[in-house]
Amino acid sequence: MESGMRVRTLVAAVALTTSMLTGYAASQTSANKLASPESFGAIGDADARSAAIFTELGKVLTHPRCVNCHPAGDRPHQANEGRLHQPPVERGADGRGLPAMRCSVCHQNANFDPGRVPGHPEWHLAPREMAWEGKTIGEICVQIKDPARNGGRRPEDLIHHIGEDTLVGWAWAPGYGRAPAPGTQKEAGALVEAWVKSGAICPVN
Amino acid sequence: MTTLGITINGRAYGPMEVRDELTMNDFLREMLGMTGTKFGCGAAQCLSCAVIIDNPDGTSYTSPTCIVPAASFDGKAIRTVEGHAKNGELSVLQKAFIDHFAFQCGYCTPGFLNEGQVLLERLAKTPVARAELEATIAEALDGHICRCTGYIKYHEAVRDVILADPKRYLV
Repeated sequence: MESGMRVRTLVAAVALTTSMLTGYAASQTSANKLASPESFGAIGDADARSAAIFTELGKVLTHPRCVNCHPAGDRPHQANEGRLHQPPVERGADGRGLPAMRCSVCHQNANFDPGRVPGHPEWHLAPREMAWEGKTIGEICVQIKDPARNGGRRPEDLIHHIGEDTLVGWAWAPGYGRAPAPGTQKEAGALVEAWVKSGAICPVN
Repeated sequence: MTTLGITINGRAYGPMEVRDELTMNDFLREMLGMTGTKFGCGAAQCLSCAVIIDNPDGTSYTSPTCIVPAASFDGKAIRTVEGHAKNGELSVLQKAFIDHFAFQCGYCTPGFLNEGQVLLERLAKTPVARAELEATIAEALDGHICRCTGYIKYHEAVRDVILADPKRYLV
């Protein structure tokens, strides 16, 4: 019993330390930039370092450019404030809109700034189980590691998905009037890779 | 500049060079003088600018034109409000709109007309039960905004066209 208490106390202390270090690491760069994986080298504890790296990546994952199309409901959000999409549209069976209002009717192969419409050939919503809206970075981390909620991907697959997928890459070139995701896609990919290779540890919140 | 070739109401236009930033709405209204297609909100929220796009397989759907580049219509066949009447004779749906006094200012009418026409053609291919008709019409016209007469008269006009020919539109 006493030993159990010690273990729980130790776990709580590690969690608190991880949380503090994570907050420390994330605060070292401005909101629109990403710290490099190397900049977390000062964190001695490997798990805490891994969690801190993910927290830095969380600046991207919780950005409106990402969350707007990872909604909790059936309607995408839009704009920097993440308001509900206007006109009112819904995900439909395949995430590409209802039969009478497909995403591709308005969203073309590329951004069309005169009409203020973003575009990409694969424009669609993330599946419902991949919703990030309203979740903490820690919750997103647990979710993104869960094959049932990440599109069946292994952690290694996320390196390509976040670092190279061109639809994800749109977040850094979103067109007129939309704030791009922090840093660059290459920097985000480097963070994912470092996080995966460091054990893919999730921050506590 | 991008090359655009398009068929509008059965007539071929182009190929011609158009600016990449030209919207389809400006192409129709400013370059071709086809002002029946309206410019309303400019954000695809009122759908007064909607036109019909005809797929090669015989199906059709509507698309806003105010936020969509003209170049994206290259190779497509579309119908605008100017194409509904044939030889000076209004279409059945146009006549129903008039009979129901469905519009006052008429600004939203082209969009409603195109949407209603697409619905009629869809029901002719895949009829619905009478019990589903009201919801089917409401769903089809949803998103089109009218600030004058309200929506019920458009709804009733479309419904009457369907009920006038139940063997064609209903199971």
